[in-house]
This record gives sequence, C-alpha cells and structure tokens, in this order.
Amino acid sequence: MQSVISWIQASWADFSDSFYINFVKDDRWKYLSDGFLVTLEIAFFAVLLGILLGFAVAVIRSTHDKTGRLRFLNLLCKIYLTVIRGTPVVVQLLIIYFVIFGSVNVSKVLVAIVAFGVNSGAYVAEIIRSGIMSIDKGQFEAGRSLGLSYLQTMVYIILPQAFKNVLPALGNEFIVLLKETSVSGYIALQDLTKAGDIIRSQTYTAFMPLIAVAVIYLAVVMLFSFLLGKLERRLKNNE
Amino acid sequence: MNDVDSSQAVFRVRNLVKRFHSLHAVHDVSTEIHRGEVVFIVGPSGSGKSTFLRCLNLLEEPTSGEIWFKGKQINRPHADINRFRQQVGMVFQHFNLFPHLTILENITIAPVKTGRFSKAESVAKADALLKRIGLYEKRNAYPQQLSGGQKQRIAIVRSLAMNPDVILFDEPTSALDPEMVGEVLSLMKDLAVEGMTMVVVTHEIGFAREIATRVMFMDQGRVVEEGTPDRFFDNPENPRLRDFFSKVL
Repeated sequence: MQSVISWIQASWADFSDSFYINFVKDDRWKYLSDGFLVTLEIAFFAVLLGILLGFAVAVIRSTHDKTGRLRFLNLLCKIYLTVIRGTPVVVQLLIIYFVIFGSVNVSKVLVAIVAFGVNSGAYVAEIIRSGIMSIDKGQFEAGRSLGLSYLQTMVYIILPQAFKNVLPALGNEFIVLLKETSVSGYIALQDLTKAGDIIRSQTYTAFMPLIAVAVIYLAVVMLFSFLLGKLERRLKNNE
Repeated sequence: MNDVDSSQAVFRVRNLVKRFHSLHAVHDVSTEIHRGEVVFIVGPSGSGKSTFLRCLNLLEEPTSGEIWFKGKQINRPHADINRFRQQVGMVFQHFNLFPHLTILENITIAPVKTGRFSKAESVAKADALLKRIGLYEKRNAYPQQLSGGQKQRIAIVRSLAMNPDVILFDEPTSALDPEMVGEVLSLMKDLAVEGMTMVVVTHEIGFAREIATRVMFMDQGRVVEEGTPDRFFDNPENPRLRDFFSKVL
C-alpha cells in the first residue's frame, strides 16, 4: 500500500515537472497559443479561398457539361484540377514559396493561405460539381421555363440545393484542410505543429508538447463537426 | 378555328423537326395556336407529343423549322429567350417545385428575380391565387409537406404568377394518385373557361373531350389528325386514331 502511494506521488511529481518545463517555464505555452492562432488564420482564409475557387470552377465545368459553352475556361479548369490533385500539397507549398514568390518578399502566412486555398479549391470544385449533378434536371428546366436566366437558375435554384446535398463532404474537406496546414513548418512558418516541435527541441521531451498539439487539433475538429451537424439539421428542417 | 385572323396567333409553328441522333421525335409539324384556344395533343407514348410541347418554349432546341411567338421568331440566334419564356408558362409531369423554397417563394421567385413584377405585387398576386385554390394557409410550408395534387396546383399557380400569354401542360396528371387527378383537372378547367390559352399533352382523353377547343393526334412525330373534339372523337377518320381510341377509351 505504501509503495503504491509513493509511486503515485512520484508520477505526479514527474508529470507536474514535465508540465512546468514544457508549458510554464519561459512562457513556452505562448508557442502553442501563437501557433494555434496562425493555424486558425491559415485554415480560415484558405477555406474561404477554396470555396470561392471551388464554386467558380464547379459552375464553369457544369455549364460546359450542360451547354457546351466556355470551352477554353473548362480546359483551364481541367488543367488546374489535374495538376493540383496530382501533386502533394507539401510540394505545392514549397513551389509557391520558393519558386512563385521566390524573388518577392511576402508574408509566409499569405503564402500558406494561397497554397492551401488553391489546393482545397480543386477538391471543393469536384464536391460542388457532384452536388450540381445530383440535382434533378427538372429543377433546371423549371427555372428556365419561368424565364430565369441560366445564371439566375444556377444561383437561386440549383446551388442552394447542391450545397445542402454536399455539406457533409464539404465539412470533411475543411477538416482535412485544417489538418493539412500542419505541414506549414516546411516553409518555416510557426503554426501549431511547428510550435509543439519547437518546445520538444527545447525541453528534450516529446510526449507533453506533441500530445498537447494533437489534443488541440482534435478539439477544433470536434467543435467544427458539432457545429456542422447543427447546420445540417437546420437545413434539413427546411423541407 | 380557321376563320381566326392569323395575326392573333400566339404560336405559329412551321415545319418543325426535332431529331435525337437518328430518331425523328418530331417530324415536320406545322400549326398555329390562337389566343383563347385550348389545344390538346394526344397520341401513343413515343409519338413526339411531349417533345413537340417542349420545343414550343425551347426546352428542346428544334433541329429545323420555325417557331413564332406573337409575331416574332424565337428560335433564331440572339432572340431574347428569357423574355419570351416569361410569357409562356410550363407545368411539368413531376411538378418540379423548388424544394428549398416555401410555397410563397416558389410562386414569387420568378416574377421578382426577372423584374416582371415588384416584390409587393408578386406577393399580393401569389396570396390571391393561393386563396383562390384554397391553399393560402400553406404559403409558408415547403413542397414536401404537400400532397401531389396540391403540388401540381401550386405549380400551375407558379406559372400563372408570371401572367403568361399561354400555359403549356406536359402530362400534368400522369404522376398523380387517381384521387388527386380531379382537383388538378378542375383548376385547369377553370382556367380554360376564363379564356386562358392552353396547350395540353395528356392521356386524359375524357378531359380533352370536355374542355378542348381543338385536339391534335400525333403518331410517329407527325400530326396525323386534328379537329374539334366532336368531330375528332365521334368520327375518327384515320385508322391509327381509331386504333388508339379502341385502346384508351
């Protein structure tokens, strides 16, 4: 009995020592909080850019499929999709940082936003396009037969329904994007993952900082999934 | 109807042909549809009647031939198709209500977004139409909460809200349960009595006999026979028409 108690005491002392060294001493927790904010910033704006690009590409591609117009734009979109989906995101990030923005001085956060946004846009485009294709063609005909233009029918009739149908897939894409930003360290950007790594290299303990990083990602994803579920239920009630 | 001045024609169709690859869906159809006419198009399935109707508002693009609407040819490059369609209602077999919009929004979205009527005008008109068909209390419901017959009557009201010159009906009762057919037919009859110009593709032969001013029988993409209901139903001359009636009547 005595030995169990002393073991617990010793473990607790180890734990609190480790906690102190990794997070409290020299304000090391600030690496995590700063990195967390950078990660959120990149993810948020990259999602916005991805949605914008994705919607545009999806509408161009479906318009081409439906009407045969926009041949040139459709070709550009296809090249974009092929290149982005055919190469690793880390390579894209490095190319954008060292090649495209190699000779100009831009903020690394901006580079990351562009890289992850452009990357995500390709996947979002195909998700939205599958949503557009899932809408019954009668919906399109009804809109056009009432005198709405092609674009009006797209915006007011098709896209709202398509968006609702692909919300789960879109949510998944955003979760993937958030986690993918963890490779930002490749361009020496101090995001959440990099922050954990910096602490590890200073304290020579891996467990605490890396588990802390994992827990933070997990918490954000869980919160996001929860909110997404709420949104889905709300949109469903509208029928 | 031959005595009507042809300048009164809402639709004038000349030598209309619609081909899907090698299939002649509509083969050289010419006709005129005048203001106040209720034209029924009947015929066996695959006879091209729905395709012909869909050509009338260019949901299908004709392969050749001319379609004139109120004195203007509409199947030519740079014709203002959206403007033309605002004046031509369409009621579909499967209703095609917009599931993400309320009943009121379903009815008002087109007149508002096309600028045909102001928002206030559109809502007032929608409310009046909904009261007329007894569905005013459903104005904030969604299409999924309605029965088939109610959906189709809303679809008819949706096209009426644009104040069209003519309404095209593409088998409006074919997707309905039998007990729902009556309410839709009675609304269509009211419209016909009020003088709405209508072109109806249907299998409801009895209904055609009741309210049509003219009946066209199509077979294999051609108009085989056409005439007033009396002559058409009581004295079918064409053997194919007689054969068709022997099966459906």
